[in-house]
Amino acid sequence: MIEIKGVTKTYGKKQNAFTALDNVSFTIPDGASVAILGKSGSGKSTLMHAISGLDRPEIGEVLIDGQDILKLKTKQVDKFRAQTIGFIFQSFFVQANETVADNVSLPLEIADVPFGARKKKIHEALESVDLIEKIGNKAKNLSGGQKQRLAVARAIVNRPQIIFADEPTGNLDSVTGTKVEDMLFGYNKKNGVTLIIVTHDPDLAAKCDMQVNIKDGKIESIREKKTAAKKPAIRKAK
Amino acid sequence: MKLIDTIARAGRSLKNAKARTLLTSLAIGVGAFTITLSLAAGQGGRAYTDQIVTANTDVRELVVTKKQPEVSNEPQKYNEAGVAQPSGTSGPFGGGAASQVNYLNDADIAAIKDVEHVVSVSPNYAPQVAYIGSGEHKYVVESLSTFSPSVRLEYAAGSVDGDLKKDEIILTEAYASVLGFATPADAVGKKVTIRADKLSTALGAAENKLFEYTVRAVSSKSGFAFRAQSSLLVTNDAARELYEYINVGTRAYGNFLLASVQIDDEKNAEDVKNVLVSKDFEAQTAADILGTVNTFINVLQGILIGFGALAVLTSVFGIINTQYISVLERTQQIGLMKALGMRRRDVGRLFKLEAAWIGFLGGAIGSGVAVIAGLAANPAISDALGIGDTYLLIFAPMQVAVVVIGLVIVSVAAGILPARKAAKLDPIEALRTE
Repeated sequence: MIEIKGVTKTYGKKQNAFTALDNVSFTIPDGASVAILGKSGSGKSTLMHAISGLDRPEIGEVLIDGQDILKLKTKQVDKFRAQTIGFIFQSFFVQANETVADNVSLPLEIADVPFGARKKKIHEALESVDLIEKIGNKAKNLSGGQKQRLAVARAIVNRPQIIFADEPTGNLDSVTGTKVEDMLFGYNKKNGVTLIIVTHDPDLAAKCDMQVNIKDGKIESIREKKTAAKKPAIRKAK
Repeated sequence: MKLIDTIARAGRSLKNAKARTLLTSLAIGVGAFTITLSLAAGQGGRAYTDQIVTANTDVRELVVTKKQPEVSNEPQKYNEAGVAQPSGTSGPFGGGAASQVNYLNDADIAAIKDVEHVVSVSPNYAPQVAYIGSGEHKYVVESLSTFSPSVRLEYAAGSVDGDLKKDEIILTEAYASVLGFATPADAVGKKVTIRADKLSTALGAAENKLFEYTVRAVSSKSGFAFRAQSSLLVTNDAARELYEYINVGTRAYGNFLLASVQIDDEKNAEDVKNVLVSKDFEAQTAADILGTVNTFINVLQGILIGFGALAVLTSVFGIINTQYISVLERTQQIGLMKALGMRRRDVGRLFKLEAAWIGFLGGAIGSGVAVIAGLAANPAISDALGIGDTYLLIFAPMQVAVVVIGLVIVSVAAGILPARKAAKLDPIEALRTE
């Protein structure tokens, strides 16, 4: 369970201060899919950064399974991200000159997964995004859709508890975009992983269990699908 | 992140920028090339002088002179009784001559003989004989020295195992030829004569004597043995006999500039030297002579290494520059790695290891080329300098390894600043760059 309590983030000082997040509080149940919806500059990315431990708002708490990640030391936050979180970005951020396998291997290396266990995990992740036959290819030879699927494989390879997707379909056409969305939601339902999507696309947001609307750093509204609240947490124990 | 993963990723990053990596490492390669060659030249030079010195000196022999007066750069005051000299010294040419040299006399020789470990003392007789002859061939003798069993000689014909007999002589190839022997081998066993002229005779009453010797062997030209090239060699006793005959009755008689002192073992050389120095002598061991020559080589080598170090210093800035550009280029990659939880220390290490790869590559290329070029050029260099089969460039694997490792360390140091920049990158900022 993710609990966000009174998170406030300001940039700049004194007269120039700009409040990106203003006393934001809400709760995300385990295994839910959440859309953080808002226009550009609304603070939705800042919110994602705060929940994922990339940014450190000076006020508030981000409790993940009861642990306030804003109080952790840098080293521990790094470890938390390496072991609990998967990231997907709008511009993929796959390493063009590296092979598909090396791209997927990166989170495992960072999380110090032993050699022996890596190969199986990489294969599983690539199979679940339909890229197993491209395993030896350089990432630069993949199409846009394939690159984002590769990014999905990289995000799920270390079995994260939470996946953050920042405009995952923003750079894709609707057909490939839908395919990537289906993969994300499929993985979310099948493995009980919490999926947090940052988007300004209402259609994508509508597919989520929960929609958090952000405007000017404040929560405008939270909408929940009725099924979401009742859904039991079936996340596999790691 | 495991070190091996970091090394592999660093290697792959460099492979993706092959041209840049290669060019950067070539800069450091120039330094590696220069340093490796300088070390090889120093090594070879020292080995060469070592051979020269051992071929011409005996490790169980010290060259001893009387302690010489301090050399003064000031003009010296004329002294009716002779040039200002410490009392108790006897200059054979004293009294007006600009001679400031102190000589060894019989008492000194006896004193040296009394020192522990000294086996024998041979004053440098260097008799000035009139000529050496065989039949109607007569030639001036430029240098007649005493034979030492432990100085290495190369022979064109015959050989001396152990000591020479008193009536035997070793000729050089040149003398064997001019004295009418067709080949050096023909000379062995033949008789030659040496005429000595007495110096102390009155004008017009010249007195001389012929001494006869059997040719025991003919020494050949060697790349190391200077003495053997030009000197005819007789025994110490024979040299003394000639000296006595020539010089008896002269003022210089019984005064020697230097004497060679034979000792029982090489390891006592230093002790004997110290005793002699305390008794107002000056003594040089074979090691001292070698040391003097090697100082010169070491200075030259130092200068060459200095140039190499300068090249390395230049390449350090190349590495810093390249790595800074690399950090800028890979801002997104760094951001991603940090977002995925890579620790600052590991990010920094990744870039330091890339610098290490560059240094290793440069060091390996530079010293590799130096070794190949050096080995290929060795015969030509030896030929040009006329030093025979000796090679002037000697590559010690340990030294090459130390050069490469040293350059890796220097490169890592050069990579510290860019690595710090990479480690400090804010992942949010880095991932915002489109």
